[in-house]
Amino acid sequence: MCATALLGFDDNQREPAPARRCGAEILLRALEAEGVEVIFGLPGGANLPIYQYLPGSPIRHILVRHEQGAAHMADGYARASGRVGVCLATSGPGALNLVTGLATAHFDSVPVVAITGQVATPTIGTDAFQESDVIGATMSVTKHSYQVHDARDLEAVVHEAFHVARTGRPGAVLIDIPKDVQQQIVEGEPAQITRLRPHREPPAPSQELLMAAARSLAGARRPMILAGRGVAIAQAQAALLALAEHIDAPVGTTLLGTGVFPSSHPLALGLVGFMGTGYCNLAVSNCDCLLMVGMRADDRVTCRLDGFAPRAEHIIHVNIDPAELGKTLAADCQIAADAGWTLEALIKETPERRHPTWRRQVDEWRDRHPLRYPHNGRLQPQEVLAACYAHRLPTDIVVADVGLNQIWAATSWTGDEAGTFLNSGGAGTMGFALPAALGAQAADPGRRVWAICGEGGFVMTLQELATAVEAGLPVKVVILNNGQLGMVRQFQDDFYGGVRSEIEHSVIPNFQLLGSAFGCFSVAVTCQAELGEALEAAMAHPGPALVECRIDPEANVYPIVPFGGGLADFMECPST
Amino acid sequence: MILVRVEDRSGVLQRVTNCLARRGFHLLSCSVGQGPKPGLLCLWLRVGTGPQPPDQVIKQLSKLIDVVSVEDRTETDPMEWVTALVEIRRDGDEMELEAALQEPGVQVVRRLKDSVLAAVAGTPEQVEVRLGQLRRLPVSDWVLGRPLALGEGGAGQAAAVGNRQVSGS
Repeated sequence: MCATALLGFDDNQREPAPARRCGAEILLRALEAEGVEVIFGLPGGANLPIYQYLPGSPIRHILVRHEQGAAHMADGYARASGRVGVCLATSGPGALNLVTGLATAHFDSVPVVAITGQVATPTIGTDAFQESDVIGATMSVTKHSYQVHDARDLEAVVHEAFHVARTGRPGAVLIDIPKDVQQQIVEGEPAQITRLRPHREPPAPSQELLMAAARSLAGARRPMILAGRGVAIAQAQAALLALAEHIDAPVGTTLLGTGVFPSSHPLALGLVGFMGTGYCNLAVSNCDCLLMVGMRADDRVTCRLDGFAPRAEHIIHVNIDPAELGKTLAADCQIAADAGWTLEALIKETPERRHPTWRRQVDEWRDRHPLRYPHNGRLQPQEVLAACYAHRLPTDIVVADVGLNQIWAATSWTGDEAGTFLNSGGAGTMGFALPAALGAQAADPGRRVWAICGEGGFVMTLQELATAVEAGLPVKVVILNNGQLGMVRQFQDDFYGGVRSEIEHSVIPNFQLLGSAFGCFSVAVTCQAELGEALEAAMAHPGPALVECRIDPEANVYPIVPFGGGLADFMECPST
Repeated sequence: MILVRVEDRSGVLQRVTNCLARRGFHLLSCSVGQGPKPGLLCLWLRVGTGPQPPDQVIKQLSKLIDVVSVEDRTETDPMEWVTALVEIRRDGDEMELEAALQEPGVQVVRRLKDSVLAAVAGTPEQVEVRLGQLRRLPVSDWVLGRPLALGEGGAGQAAAVGNRQVSGS
């Protein structure tokens, strides 16, 4: 046999013979065509045909230690890069282990495509070994899902899945591929998906609606802007800054919006909502016109709904997802459109304004209600974060976990660069930070990536330290160790009669030994004086590093709005 | 009453009902049938929204990839049709039973030794009235189906997939 025959050509024919490829090869070629650079995955019985052909693909595979880690890594990769993240798992428990990670990504509108192996088609529904209905299990945490029954459909399904994941309001999409379909030999042209409904771009808002919004902003005496992750997805940070300066409106951000407005700007008011800054919450409570852009009006933002922006004569709500408009908050101007498009249009249609009285009032609130924490000789988390942020380069990415650490990290944030602060806002998934940081690091090996965790969340996914070392992903993990489930403890202290129930971690691993066991650089910090040296040593280490900071176990987040309270009802740090 | 046109793909009904359940809506009735366009299914839904804004049903269903269109057809006054089956014991007044079986909308399905199985069909209001009359007889069991619906541009050969309500006498 000559070499051309091996490549699929017959010497006796002028035309190349139809390509013979199996489903696994078709899948990998389609992923390559979508520009996939890296897959986070774990092999198992039902996805082995894919792994058989993976070594022949230029796609990098990062072997995770648990499938939840794979989903979070794909999520972190997508948030950091703006591209679609991809994770791969086997059937049954492997596929089900993805669920939390997919929910986390989907909740925060992150484009992730999950590929799962499935038992062979004839055995589906027979309770075969490692069979699970992953389509049913993930239906409410994905934008769409596919179970492929013919390898000829694979190419089209992959392309449609990526399209669905990244367009409109981005989200998670799942492709379930039975093992026999992965092995099915296909000759000739792939099938096409004929959709009866063309992809729907959100219709441009009417000029009338835009003009109404512009009139409200122009007529405002106390304007206010709240911005969310939709601004980052639309890459509209510059437009947000331009509009805020144009109409002289202070800007607050949601947790997911942290970083979409430069924190050092005089108009920046930081985090809004349940654990937002007092001055931001007061500004929302007293503004006469509120523009909410690229965000949901969720309960952590609004707190008691009828106490949200009570003096606002006009609320303008902009979201690319029409279902988010009017879902909880009845804004009088609802615009279903891309955040960037709308901000640009509003800049054009709104005359420049100055509000010196309103700005003075907001600055007075800023002076009267600063972020405060006790100085009691113990290491405070705000001191740790200030040191971390002082050491970070402008391009460094910080991934926060969930709990008190997340709020401290967001309210202490000093970055001016868009897309450098990542966290799980909607789902609030503890254990998110480490694997998501690994995904962000894989997206851009040239940037430094930090993971800020509490010890409670860190131990939920710590096995991925092995992935960090093995894949050469030099993330710097800062553990704020208060020896307990801190946010739960604060809620119990503040809102549940002071009854501390099941929040203490009486057994905490020795994080230095633990890090060393995985091959990480590890160091412990017990006081502020040790912080600088420890962080510098961690940064100087070429591989992953663990910095355990033993913080004040009684450290809390303040301000905080009591459950059932309005934004202006926030409680401040009682000890200052 | 909402008309949902969906692509006729495996699992599409699960996607629609899951979406409604996920959002806390109560699916009161659902008629499914082949629409006039090949590859399209038409779903006529009656949905209770509870405290949520009613337009959320349309907005949330519109997000599903397999959904082609969603329309609120409440104003078009679609036709609703209900069927009930009633089993009546024959140990009561035979004359009264036979008279009731002659009423409009009532049809004898099967005569058994000790009972008669009758079908009652009509609009929901008509069936409610007729069932009220039949319940004065010694009814041993009855089943009330969820309404079928058909309106302009409707479901063609509609079939009920709603829950059954079963009650003893």
